[in-house]
Amino acid sequence: MTAKAGVGALGAALLAVLVFLAISSWSRQPAAAAKPSAQPINFPHNVHVGTYKIDCQYCHSDARRSEYAGLPSVERCMGCHKIAGADKAEIKKLAEYHAKKEPIPWVRVNKLPEFTYFPHKAHIRAGLKCQTCHGAVETMTTYAADTGPKLTVDLLNLAGLRPAPPPLTMGWCVDCHREQNATAGRHAPLDCVTCHH
Amino acid sequence: MNRRDFFKIVTVSGAAAATGGCQQASESILPLVVPNEHLVPGVASWFSTVCRECPAGCGVIARNREGRVVKLEGNPDHPVSAGALCLRGQAALQGLYHPDRITGPQVREGSAGFKAATWDAASKTVADKLAALKNGGKSRAIAVVTQLENGNLGGLLDRWVQALGARPRVTLEPFAYESIRAANRATFNRDAIPYYAFEDAEVVLSFGADFIETWLSNVSYARTFKRMHSFRDGRAGTFIHVEPRQSLTAANADEWVRNAPGTEGLLALAILRAMVDEGMADRRFGEAAASVDLKRAADETGVSVETIKRIAKAFGHAKPGLAVGGGVSVSGTNATQTQIAINLLNAAAGNVGKTVRFGADSAYGKVTPYAEVANLAGAMAGGEIEALILGPGVNPVFTLPSGLKLADAIRKVPLVVSFANVPDQTSELAHVVLPDTHWLESWGDYSPREGVVGFLQPTMSPVRDSRPMGDTLLRIGRAALGVEEGKGPIPWPTFEQYLKGAWAPLVKGDLEGALRRGGVFGDVAPAAVTAKVAAADSTPPKLAGDAGGLTLLAYPSLRFYDGRSAVSSWLQEAPDSMTQAVWDAWVEISTDTAKKLGVVQGDMLAVKSPQGTLELPAYISPTLHPSAVAIPMGHRYTPYQRPRYVAADTKSVNPMDLLPAVADATSGGLAFMSVKVTLTKLGTRRPLAVLQATHDQDHREIAQHVDLGAAREQALRGRPAEEAHPTLYPDQKYPGPRWGMTIDVDACVGCQACVVSCQAENNVPVVGKASAAYGRQLHWMRLERWAEGKPEHPANIFLPMLCQHCEVAPCEPVCPVYAAYRTEEGLNGQVYNRCVGTRYCGNNCPYHVRRFNWFQYEFPAPLEVQLNPDVTVRQLGVMEKCTMCVQRIIAGKDRARDEKRAVRDGDIQTACQQTCPTQAITFGNLKDEGSGATKLTHSPRAYHVLEEIGTRPSITYLRKVVRGGGHA
Repeated sequence: MTAKAGVGALGAALLAVLVFLAISSWSRQPAAAAKPSAQPINFPHNVHVGTYKIDCQYCHSDARRSEYAGLPSVERCMGCHKIAGADKAEIKKLAEYHAKKEPIPWVRVNKLPEFTYFPHKAHIRAGLKCQTCHGAVETMTTYAADTGPKLTVDLLNLAGLRPAPPPLTMGWCVDCHREQNATAGRHAPLDCVTCHH
Repeated sequence: MNRRDFFKIVTVSGAAAATGGCQQASESILPLVVPNEHLVPGVASWFSTVCRECPAGCGVIARNREGRVVKLEGNPDHPVSAGALCLRGQAALQGLYHPDRITGPQVREGSAGFKAATWDAASKTVADKLAALKNGGKSRAIAVVTQLENGNLGGLLDRWVQALGARPRVTLEPFAYESIRAANRATFNRDAIPYYAFEDAEVVLSFGADFIETWLSNVSYARTFKRMHSFRDGRAGTFIHVEPRQSLTAANADEWVRNAPGTEGLLALAILRAMVDEGMADRRFGEAAASVDLKRAADETGVSVETIKRIAKAFGHAKPGLAVGGGVSVSGTNATQTQIAINLLNAAAGNVGKTVRFGADSAYGKVTPYAEVANLAGAMAGGEIEALILGPGVNPVFTLPSGLKLADAIRKVPLVVSFANVPDQTSELAHVVLPDTHWLESWGDYSPREGVVGFLQPTMSPVRDSRPMGDTLLRIGRAALGVEEGKGPIPWPTFEQYLKGAWAPLVKGDLEGALRRGGVFGDVAPAAVTAKVAAADSTPPKLAGDAGGLTLLAYPSLRFYDGRSAVSSWLQEAPDSMTQAVWDAWVEISTDTAKKLGVVQGDMLAVKSPQGTLELPAYISPTLHPSAVAIPMGHRYTPYQRPRYVAADTKSVNPMDLLPAVADATSGGLAFMSVKVTLTKLGTRRPLAVLQATHDQDHREIAQHVDLGAAREQALRGRPAEEAHPTLYPDQKYPGPRWGMTIDVDACVGCQACVVSCQAENNVPVVGKASAAYGRQLHWMRLERWAEGKPEHPANIFLPMLCQHCEVAPCEPVCPVYAAYRTEEGLNGQVYNRCVGTRYCGNNCPYHVRRFNWFQYEFPAPLEVQLNPDVTVRQLGVMEKCTMCVQRIIAGKDRARDEKRAVRDGDIQTACQQTCPTQAITFGNLKDEGSGATKLTHSPRAYHVLEEIGTRPSITYLRKVVRGGGHA
């Protein structure tokens, strides 16, 4: 009797955990893994990239010349937003930063381990689309990457509820490099020290 | 937006509040407010400036990443350094990011020490005092002391001094070579230090001049010396060095002659006498050396008559030769007479105008002679000075002899203002400290020799709250004079504006170009001089102290110069090339003395002179003259180094504490060799951290040499091919390039510049004395000294040792996690994130070049800002080693791909190669038959270290070429 109740309780607890995980991850939009409120300004990538078709590198202009993609300067944001949407609440926040000559404290979303060097420049030079690694940014309201092998992602993927975002793991990088070398005749490096030095 | 704002904003702030649970801490990334087209985060910018670590004035280019300088390199366009930099130059970054850097003005509050003050308040304190002195008719009670500033900062300071009616500015450099100037006045009627053209000499005869360490311009003279000396350049000249101690420079000589300390002048005259006797010099020089008897000279100097005659013959037949003099044993009370004897040697051999060139005179000729500094000290002690202004870089309490009693004299000055930006022994006595910006943050200019003007520009914004001395003094000066900005004798709002005004005629409208090149470089017409032949005196120097004692040789340190570079922990941990000791100071005693006292290495000795007593561990040297003891100068610690790297109670040891304040009467130069000391065994021990256990190769043939004759023959006919070692391994295939390196042991002078450059480039941590003594140092590169022949007179070979990037690497198969592996470009990769720290690889490496992170080493703030962002900072438990600067290889390939071309030879330079003053290191693609490195691997002098074990290294060494004798 007691043993049976114990198993039942355990089963119920397990079910509760699974349900909680499923609901909690499902309830979040794919692109909003980091809560929108986490960012100081609710920046909609879908409007900029999807609706207005602004090139990624218009804002992330260091991607072609540096290891880092870079963030647009506050000045660059204001270049359009002096006029465009100047009355909106989020744009007013932007104007405030600009007036104070302060940088916007964006919350970092993509972070590779510090022993990994990923040069954006070489990938842009090779003609890669930003979406290959960063996902369909043009559909995202607030950009966020839910990377890595996470249970929630796996479960959702299994259930066919949403495709897994690019995991940005080493295996995934290497797979692409191998595939490119095999199919496209490229010379994507596979040496460990290219990225780990 | 100005640069300063940019730098503030561009920094990526570190981790902030964790978002809870096991999630990663969130991090904010800050964009620029206003874009700066010239600075792209992630892409380095380079700024050229001038190294001010010593008066040599080498050109520097500073690599700026995200607004912070992370690496210094030599400026290839600069005529003095020609792209190289010495270890002190490399380590200047440690002064820039020094954890003890003073933040903002400090004002002394009674005996309680310093209290932070505002710039306005601190400046006002000084200005009020100066105004009171000026208005009270006591302008002459104001004294200004700076390091050698011969550019516009010096000019501005002189105007300032004039405006206030203060005493003429004193330029204080402890090593000022007054005796060379005085001798040149006597012999050539010219008060200057000429340019010595080592590169054009066939035979260099040096009387103690440590030109590879500190003498005049160590990078420039090491480079030009190798141009006359190295077999590679086809000249293979001869270098004879006379010194009582085997210094690093002596170790590079083909013939090192050990003389009794202070007898250099006599020896020079004896050589001159022998030259005249043999008909190799004009008879009229005979009268100068008439009083010298070879036999007696041989007895006094301890150099045999045959040796004297042999040197005379070599020197007399050289077309041309070059005789130079310097170093501690040529700095006694007879220094000027010794230098006159050396001048006569040059004149008799016809070298003047050829290798001794007046015209392009050295900046050192403008230093205030020590005697005047002593006068100022006397005036201070006498209460004549009421305001003393000390520029940055001067630390007279430490660098001048304790016999001068300067600290007591300074204590009598009512207002001492220091511009030091790191606390030192002199700034401790100051009443007001107004921290100057570091030279890497400053505007300025410096002329190392006539015709060459190097420009300094800020390479980044100040690390700590500090202001340029020029700006601060302008403000103070105007306040003291009661005039407004734009008026009066010093109207300029900032030093930068004064400077740019002064530069206008020099740069002819192209300021940007001049700043990019690093200055304005021209040639100066040579000045003809005629030698006056007069009898030179050869009396020995007068020595104070116990007549039965040992002569104290307090010699300038390659690593610390006069002590100003000792703030750097990199330099404290860079081994002294000869002793291979790190961190601690020591007293070098001869084997004889050690036997007499019954001491072994590390035993504590009390070194006593009439001035005081020092307690030092003994280093027993079989080479030192038995009548001498030697202590390196400049050894001091800064607060953050204790107890982090050395025991908390370790005292700085300064041989200047033993010296009486004696000057050479003729030149007014400080006599560094002026006292005899006695030694007493204390009975305690303080073992030294010596990184090389033995200098004996024990027939391992690690450092190899070849005789000059054989080398010439092999160069003509080639060397008989050696049988390749049999192997069962297949040849490795390299689809792309195969990187490799050659190191010309014949060109290496053992200066350690590569070691420190590697440390700066690759984020190599400092471990401290105790760890280093355990052999836990982390240097990726070390400089081995191998001694051959008789222990008391060895021939030395310096061998830079680093990962050999073996084709059949013993480290790789023993790694259980595949962290050590062979890349397809011929490197031995080490993947830190894979490494689990078994240390099998380190144990299996026959070259002992793998280093293990025994601890989590820290980079105390703000030193962490210096870390190269392109290189991973390794953590506890990880093995590391030379990567052949793989980050530079990747950057080089990236640049080539941007330009849609293949990598060219010379595109990629490793950090060690880049800084080498003698270009002993060549890096390149070994698959490219045209590359410099490949060509050198085919040299008959090429060999691999431990070739017989079949590791097939990618690093090829070229044998040292020795000139008969010397080597056993």
